Amino acid sequence: MEFLSLLDITFFLLAALGALVGIIFGAIPGMTATMAVAVCLPLTYALGLNHGLALLLGLYVGGISGGMVPAVLLNIPGTPSSITTTFDGYPMAQKGQGERALKVCVIASLVGGLISAIVLFLFAPILADFSIKFSYVEKFLIIFLALTVIASLSSNMLVGIFSGVIGVWLSLVGTYSISDGGNGKTRLMFDFMEPYLFEGFSLLPVLIGIFGISTILLEAEKGVKSGLTNEKIKIGKGAGFSLSVFKGRLTNLVRSSFIGTFVGMLPGVGGSAASVLAYTQERNLSRDSSEMGKGAPQGLIASESANNALTGGALIPLLSLGIPGDSTTAVLIGAFTLQGVQVGPLFIPENADTWYVMMTALVFANFVMFFLMFYAIKYIAKVIMVPKHILFPIIVMMCVVGAYAINYGIMFDVWTLLIFGVLGYLVQKVGLEVAPLIIGFILGSSAEVYFVKTLESFGTLSIFFTKSPIAVVLWILILASVAFSIVMRLKSRRELKADLPASRLNKEELS
Amino acid sequence: MESGLSTLLSVSIDFETSHLFFPRIIHWLLACLFLLVLVFRVIPFLAAVRRGEHSLPIIGESMDVLRFFGTLALIAAYFYLMAAIGNLFPYTGYGFLFVSMAFVLLMSLLYMHERTRKNLGIAVVNAIVAPSLAWFVLAKLFNITLP
Repeated sequence: MEFLSLLDITFFLLAALGALVGIIFGAIPGMTATMAVAVCLPLTYALGLNHGLALLLGLYVGGISGGMVPAVLLNIPGTPSSITTTFDGYPMAQKGQGERALKVCVIASLVGGLISAIVLFLFAPILADFSIKFSYVEKFLIIFLALTVIASLSSNMLVGIFSGVIGVWLSLVGTYSISDGGNGKTRLMFDFMEPYLFEGFSLLPVLIGIFGISTILLEAEKGVKSGLTNEKIKIGKGAGFSLSVFKGRLTNLVRSSFIGTFVGMLPGVGGSAASVLAYTQERNLSRDSSEMGKGAPQGLIASESANNALTGGALIPLLSLGIPGDSTTAVLIGAFTLQGVQVGPLFIPENADTWYVMMTALVFANFVMFFLMFYAIKYIAKVIMVPKHILFPIIVMMCVVGAYAINYGIMFDVWTLLIFGVLGYLVQKVGLEVAPLIIGFILGSSAEVYFVKTLESFGTLSIFFTKSPIAVVLWILILASVAFSIVMRLKSRRELKADLPASRLNKEELS
Repeated sequence: MESGLSTLLSVSIDFETSHLFFPRIIHWLLACLFLLVLVFRVIPFLAAVRRGEHSLPIIGESMDVLRFFGTLALIAAYFYLMAAIGNLFPYTGYGFLFVSMAFVLLMSLLYMHERTRKNLGIAVVNAIVAPSLAWFVLAKLFNITLP
């Protein structure tokens, strides 16, 4: 219980502030939890590890939850993970039940967040304990598995793999570090770049550039339209909400929370996959799903409990294996590195206090989110009105501070923002995927060390298959994820073909 | 047969060139994947563009040219001038403070759709207050290095 002495009033205030700022970011369409964490990183430079974590976890929980506000009120998902919230939330808002819909979402979010926190608390130490025994061979295969899973769950497997390998390539720019047992020589650059890129691209400027600057470029291209007027937002009367909405919905709530937690654990898979999966499961398994899509609270429950459950799930592989579960936890890895903490199998056993502090922050942030959103939702809903011409310049400014201060004042890190901002913009425009690219970038250099060092000591590729039973299991999992992707592709193609004649028939009937 | 397989799988890495070993594999992988993407994605996509079903990304889409390239130019100028002016007042963060004020104001004006007196007033106040607040909290209270 020593960790209790680490919790002071500042800790709780920072977690609450994080949740509030996160909700605001999440509520503004086009801004995500990832962006909230990336933009607020400079504030943690001056804070200690525990206070910094309180702020960042608050931002994470708040950012994921905030997306429900514009989803319900404007039919625009504030974050990708609230896409399915629009299906039932907006019809309810149109019927004048906006506040009722939001309150259902808030309670579902709280339950999802807490269930996933419990799973994280129980499961992460076990996984970490198990993975401590991993040698370089298993560690390489874990990274390989992570990249395969991301690719196989991408909308197109080939594009997913391609994006991931580009990320790995970018991570190799710089020296083959002597501290990792390399020979200290630079590669993948011209001589004149050496002063700038000797240590490669810094992680945080890359992340802030991809998630901050490229979002702004994408908006600028569309003309930074606000298109919102006060009249458009209909929050409705508070009356009509009671807990009886949840009667008979407990199975849905718990199932969706577990789906969210599980999807969160898979690396690189965002909240949209979690909420879409939970929503379709509810539609398939519920006794009466005829109202779903027309304004049924059960749809909101499925969607919101799943996307908040993502938070705890995504932290499991981060804290036990050092592999981020989604793009926000990828930015969190940067925050840990900044504080001199290495996440991986040894993190929980060696930093037991930090681990308990994190759990406290996560649970507390969920409650703060609940109270803020449940009682102050009317006022928070107004933030979606903040004009972007005020907000965007401030975001660029905060991105600059974050990038410049990370290595104590290196101007090249600021230029990295622009380079990766433009790269992130192009990647999204030509249809490549950002999440696999980022995970490839984060894991690429470790993958190199594990792979090359293994071959240097054993001298044969067969070691990757024969080292241990765990290696064999990992190979089976890798093959299974590829097979899963191929089966799903064939299934959707068959469904598409079956749908085509039907739609043609309808057209003919109409004409 | 077995010895043939084991020689096929055996690898020796020269330490002097070990920094190029993994990048070489990645290059081959990238080249193969690029070919596959070209055959299965790019060529069918271009065929669809020719049939008029899709438009080319970036070039074929409508774009707010002024705001997009204005943003790029403003950000580049912001980064460049920040360092240049910052060098005139080292270790004070003034480069960040003053150039940010100009940047925030210009970017607000660029993105503003209705230039009413009220909107302009808010933008000017924001351009003075936001950078000052960020500078004060980060550079003065938290002692964070700023350009």
